Amino acid sequence: MELYRIVVAESSETYRNQVCKLLNQRGYKTYHATDSAGAIRISRSIYPDIVIMDVNLWGMKAYEAARIIEEDKLSTVIFIISNPTDTFYQKLRNMNVFAYIMKPMHADQLYRTVEFSIMNAQKIKSLSNKIEKLENTLENRKKVDKAKGLLMENLKFSENEAYKWLRKKSMNTCISIDKMAEKIIEKYR
Amino acid sequence: MNSKYSKEEIVKKVKELELEFIHLQFTDILGVMKNISITIEQLEKALNNEIMFDGSSIDGFVRIEESDMYLRPDLSTFVVFPWTSPTREARMICDVYKADGTPFGGCPRNTLKKVLKEAKDMGYIMNVGPECEFFMFHTNERGEPSLETHDNAGYFDLAPVDLGGNARKDMTITLKQMGFEIEASHHEVAPGQHEIDFKYEDALTTADNIMTFKMVVRIIAQRHGLHATFMPKPKFGINGSGMHINMSLATIDGKNAFYDENDPMQLSKEAYHYLGGTIKHAKSFAALTNPTINSYKRLVPGYEAPVLIAWSASNRSPLVRIPAKRGNSTRIELRNPDPSANPYLALAAVLKAGLDGIKNEIEPPAPVLSNVYHMNEDEKKEKGIESLPANLYEAISELSKDEVIKEAIGKHIYKKFRDAALYEWNEYSKFVSQWELDRYLRKF
Repeated sequence: MELYRIVVAESSETYRNQVCKLLNQRGYKTYHATDSAGAIRISRSIYPDIVIMDVNLWGMKAYEAARIIEEDKLSTVIFIISNPTDTFYQKLRNMNVFAYIMKPMHADQLYRTVEFSIMNAQKIKSLSNKIEKLENTLENRKKVDKAKGLLMENLKFSENEAYKWLRKKSMNTCISIDKMAEKIIEKYR
Repeated sequence: MNSKYSKEEIVKKVKELELEFIHLQFTDILGVMKNISITIEQLEKALNNEIMFDGSSIDGFVRIEESDMYLRPDLSTFVVFPWTSPTREARMICDVYKADGTPFGGCPRNTLKKVLKEAKDMGYIMNVGPECEFFMFHTNERGEPSLETHDNAGYFDLAPVDLGGNARKDMTITLKQMGFEIEASHHEVAPGQHEIDFKYEDALTTADNIMTFKMVVRIIAQRHGLHATFMPKPKFGINGSGMHINMSLATIDGKNAFYDENDPMQLSKEAYHYLGGTIKHAKSFAALTNPTINSYKRLVPGYEAPVLIAWSASNRSPLVRIPAKRGNSTRIELRNPDPSANPYLALAAVLKAGLDGIKNEIEPPAPVLSNVYHMNEDEKKEKGIESLPANLYEAISELSKDEVIKEAIGKHIYKKFRDAALYEWNEYSKFVSQWELDRYLRKF
């Protein structure tokens, strides 16, 4: 089992200690936060696997803090709530993972939700990384193709020669081929 | 922020970026940014200067009878907020106009424009570069701002995990995205104290930039779980936050009017006279450059803040310093303003003082060469060096005696400003502080 690092953002000391104790018993490392800003500060320092956050956290609105944490890719947030309302479900829709912990809480429910959320968050993260990478590759490919076309047109190269020329040029100047392609496109525009 | 947009371009841009809200921003007399948010459906109306608001609800604005005010957005200040991802938003800074279509005298931006026009009529354009300092504090366990800092780093330190440093980096990036040219960003002397400097611009743009800067710093700090404050002296015993103002006049054809290669100090007549005017009116414009009770707790000896009204070429202790750079970078650095000042009013007052110097050819006193902190009373008297006001009350009394500075800010603002400051002073005077209890409770 992995050693997850979990931030418990909960203003009630009793409840916070209770949650932390349960998570510690399961072998997880916990960090305390008593207010929203504190939760953001810890998340920025340690990039935890997950942040468990009470919706009625002191300070800035918990939703706002959760949005910042997920928007800046610091971690994934699951809320603790006693009476989930329609508004709550609406907000939940915009979160990374559609999961929450009900008060009063049972150990089983806590473990299940936390582990489910972390695993899903990790999957989502690796998928979105993959997409980002693919998008970049595609973008670069387009640039290289465009530059190749420009070279073929202006310097009367064959396609193969144009690519070789581009690769040689980028190797000689120690910059990546897509950056070189950008420069070529810039030059002939 | 040199981008100039036409109405059509703004409408196009708003549609293109799918913006949802536009904030129409203006500044009240006390230097607090206000804004009216409109949806894009109302954009057309806003661009035609038809957005109205109730001026009587704003501090220092008007009486109920004449409360209809109009906002005229300055199109060149259109900028999209880089940080609001769920709803995309933008802003424009506005001038406040009365219902009859004349500029409202209580709008600080109009006031600065008026003085800038006066300078232009004399053949000068004022350029200003600010150095804005601020503190970032932690929140306490209840989420309220505390005085605890995120670091114990000192001047220019580079800490391994520095929450404040990360926040500052984020601020710099955000400001760049909004069109700022950042010149420097570093940790300041005190723990938790930071400084970000941006490139000089004409005075109006700089004043707008200072207001935008303060907003960005607060928002980004919050995103980092920190509380940013521009309070001049939040903590006893450590440096306060200043907002040094580097200013120069350019002639209409773009030359630096302060530079003269034939002078022994390479300063022009205008520069000396501007300096003379600044020194002469320093006591009275202090009320505007240092407008809070707390401002005067920064202006005490020992914390790099100026106390004495004097100038020097290199020494950093007096009120005015002339940095060593010459040519187009010739400038005068005024060291007393702090970031609680309303930048529009502070710049209007300071410029007016300088212009008065040029008009009446006021010669500055001789420069001080030694550290003025180390001068004794006799030396000061001999050299005719006076002190800045010791508190807000003194500053207001000095202001009330100075017709030139009063003219700069106009009757309406002067009256409202004085009333607000005196109210503040009375409230403060009545308050029994911890310091007094510690001092007198047992003694008497």
